[in-house]
Amino acid sequence: MKATVRRWLCRIGNFLRPARAEDELSRELASHLGLLEDEFRRRGMPEGQARRAAAVALGGLEQAKELHRAERSFLWLEELRRDASHGLRLLRRNPITAATATLSLAIGIGADASVFTVANALLFRTPTGVREPERLVDIGVGRPDGGFNPGSYPTYLDIRRRAVTLDGVYAHPMFPQALSLAVAGASATSERVFGQFVTTNYFAVLGTTASSGRLFAPADGEQPGASPIIVLSDRFWRRRFGGDAAVIGSAIRVNGRPFTVIGVAQEGFQGTGVLGPDLWLPLNMIAVVNSQDRAIFEARAAGWLVMGGRLKRDSPLARAAAELDVIGRDLRRAHSDQINTRELRVLPWSSVPGNRRRVGAFAVLLMALVSLVLLVACANVAGVLLARGAARRREMAVRLSIGASRARLVRQLLVETIVLFLLGGTAGVALARAMTSLVVARLPPLPFPISVPLALDGRVLAFTIGLSLIAALAFGLAPALQASRPDTVAALKDESGAPGRGRLRQAFVLAQVAASVALVVVAGLFTRALERAGSMDPGFDPHGIELVSLNVSMAGYSDTTGPRFWRDLVDRVRELPGVQDATVARVLPGGFEGIGLGLSPAGGRSGGVTDSFEPDGNIIEPGYFATLRIPLLAGRDFTAADRAGAQPVAIVGDAVARHFWPGQNALGKYLSQPGNKRSLLVVGVARDIKSSSLVDGLSDSFVYLPLPQQYASHLTAQMTIAARTNPGQPATDAIRALVASMNPNLPIVTSQTLEDSVALGLVPQRVAASVSGSLGLVGLLLAAIGIYGVTALTVARRTREFGIRIALGAERRDVLRMVLRQGLGLIAGGCAVGLSLGAGAGHVLSGFLFGVPPLDPAVFAAAAASSVAVGLAACYGPARRATRVDPMSALRCE
Amino acid sequence: MPSGSKDRAELLPGTLDLIVLRALSTMGPQHAYALAARIEQVADHPLTLNQGSLYPALVRLEHRGWIKGDWRRTENNREAKYYAITRPGSRALAAETQRWRRLSGLVDKLLLDER
Repeated sequence: MKATVRRWLCRIGNFLRPARAEDELSRELASHLGLLEDEFRRRGMPEGQARRAAAVALGGLEQAKELHRAERSFLWLEELRRDASHGLRLLRRNPITAATATLSLAIGIGADASVFTVANALLFRTPTGVREPERLVDIGVGRPDGGFNPGSYPTYLDIRRRAVTLDGVYAHPMFPQALSLAVAGASATSERVFGQFVTTNYFAVLGTTASSGRLFAPADGEQPGASPIIVLSDRFWRRRFGGDAAVIGSAIRVNGRPFTVIGVAQEGFQGTGVLGPDLWLPLNMIAVVNSQDRAIFEARAAGWLVMGGRLKRDSPLARAAAELDVIGRDLRRAHSDQINTRELRVLPWSSVPGNRRRVGAFAVLLMALVSLVLLVACANVAGVLLARGAARRREMAVRLSIGASRARLVRQLLVETIVLFLLGGTAGVALARAMTSLVVARLPPLPFPISVPLALDGRVLAFTIGLSLIAALAFGLAPALQASRPDTVAALKDESGAPGRGRLRQAFVLAQVAASVALVVVAGLFTRALERAGSMDPGFDPHGIELVSLNVSMAGYSDTTGPRFWRDLVDRVRELPGVQDATVARVLPGGFEGIGLGLSPAGGRSGGVTDSFEPDGNIIEPGYFATLRIPLLAGRDFTAADRAGAQPVAIVGDAVARHFWPGQNALGKYLSQPGNKRSLLVVGVARDIKSSSLVDGLSDSFVYLPLPQQYASHLTAQMTIAARTNPGQPATDAIRALVASMNPNLPIVTSQTLEDSVALGLVPQRVAASVSGSLGLVGLLLAAIGIYGVTALTVARRTREFGIRIALGAERRDVLRMVLRQGLGLIAGGCAVGLSLGAGAGHVLSGFLFGVPPLDPAVFAAAAASSVAVGLAACYGPARRATRVDPMSALRCE
Repeated sequence: MPSGSKDRAELLPGTLDLIVLRALSTMGPQHAYALAARIEQVADHPLTLNQGSLYPALVRLEHRGWIKGDWRRTENNREAKYYAITRPGSRALAAETQRWRRLSGLVDKLLLDER
């Protein structure tokens, strides 16, 4: 037993350091020869004869060495290594072929790897600093598409109290909030940071540890205002405080309120999501920090908390889901006046809670697109391999005839292919790094700190290597089998037979054409969709509108001082030079959805209305409709008379009006709002706009409420000023200066143009169009190279035939036509397959296309025409060469 | 089996190891050439021992830790690798010899009975 183990260890050692064992063996054999020689000399042979006799007596040296190698190491591994280094030598000998093949593989593999890197970060990455993430779940209020929305604080408390399948339930608002931070003692200026409010059990449920100091603990209490403490993120601690441990225990001010820093979270910890806040605050401090009413902790209708929990060891996800379903039903029964909640839903944790499926679908789509390019690249390389196989037929035949087995040859060819693909894969990983950082850099600015670690982790590497190996086997096997075919005699006689090889090559070219045409079709469809989105009337005019967002709770405005500040600010903005019109709104079209206010018609819904319809809410100042140029279909805009305390009013979107009061005049009807004792009088009907859902091309219908009547810090502390300015007279700087003059402690949260903000909603289409477009071009180029290669090969093979034809009187034109016809046949076949692939893809993608028909004739015609043009151009060179065949020399050459 | 070699004894698989161990145990440290010569001499009957096939056996035995090789000078002042049997090698030799005796005795008996 021990001897066996020893032997294996020695063999492994010899494999890892082959040179040493080889040297030793050579030395030993040389000594053996010397001793034999001595012996023969002793018997009286002359010098030279003795040496020869010794060599004869010892027998085949190489054979002895081979036996020795097999015994001391692992023969197949040794052979693998020799094949690999042989492959590398071959590549070095043909640097141009090697470079083009590696480059096209790098593009294909790199594109796949970069999509996978992003998908990996969003969907599969294990969160840093979180214990046993597989037991974590996200909890939310179910949405019809299988995802979910946030819930309210009372709902959270009920879940936490009742759920026995969960070890702990935490909650936090959906997004980190912009806060102003002032360090005591330092210069008086405050800075903007992003803070995430979390329940005090947050770190305990996630199982995070502090890298310094301590984290929140359930003992820190949950009473509103009870715990003015802060935990810093490791990154922020290093960036802002230079990693100084003295900051722990020190006092800082957040939005002007005193807090104590108690610790720093583990390095890299950012919860389970993609948003990386600078610091964490206890959720019970949110009302204090935002100078708002504590009512937010009692409002059952306000959905603002993302919830998550940890499954108990013995409870599977299904049991937790069943339990939460029961809790959800009970809550709906007990509070039917306040909530129209759908069921409570539990899903395995995800960095995009409740949206995993959407993100996953988009990743699959992108992956499919980029895989087409990989297909084209692989087909191209396979074509090169086939050609190389043809050139090496003599070598193969010689080896076969001296006794190499076919399996051995196939293995050698495959190893050579794998070497090539792994080179491509390595270059692809490098390319993927560059591509992902390029894409990230080109994203429009986001209103909160997204931090997706796009690190090159083991999973990405495994994916890339696996992909390279699979592609190498899939595309290397056929050429290898082809090249090692045992038609030794024919090959040795150097007859150019083997029609099958031509067919295989043609199949590869056909696949290339098909894949690139499909890509061009998809790119065309997305481009048309973007065109349409650009020309589509969104129901408002985004041109020339500048947006500036502020969060007045940063400067300590309360529910009473806040509305006055906003009114004052917007009045002054209107006075600025170049500003035509200005307003303030909670949400603006583009990017993100409206807020849920739980509105429904007073006195119940009329018959046939589904219970799940809940319009998006928006809270605005007068002038919103004029500034955005949204027509009012009936009634009036809000006025200064719609004060707090006056009759509550609302303006509804057209679709909301038709939904709530079908066939009736909505003016004069009432809406009921949870938590508001008085019903809201509808005073206007506005045309619907296409807002966040530019993505699906559907209309969003809003209910608009006036700011003074709806002011509540948790909802309306952060608002956005929208100013329509004269062309060439940007006002953002002036607004900045104005805000600073009104309150120096009020940093600007974000500023951008409405056009940019709307463009954010089109990011998926833009990414898909540019990815598929550029990949389609690369694909067409590769396909052109493939067509050229295959045509050139056929022309070369048929030189003699052409010579005979021309000698017998065929016109050069006929020859040209013959060659082109063959090339065109390939292109037409590939085109047909590609167009049907494209049609299928278009059908799948129709949801992203803004109503561009999936079979858009212009796109399909353009794709077909471009591929035919490229294909003809690629065939033309070889075809010309065919016409120049000199009959005499062609006939003589064999 | 190639024709014409009927009078030459083919080594049974595994027996070469035993022979080498035995030779080293009786003769003390030897280099490969001396071992080959010794085996041919002792066999007294031409063994089909390709000189080259001795080396894999030596590697195998060395890997198992049954023999140990080191470089020395011969009396003719050539350098050669001398192999010596180790203590585990001696134990293995004893066990293998026993096994071989049992096996060959069994085969002998069977062959006699068949006759």
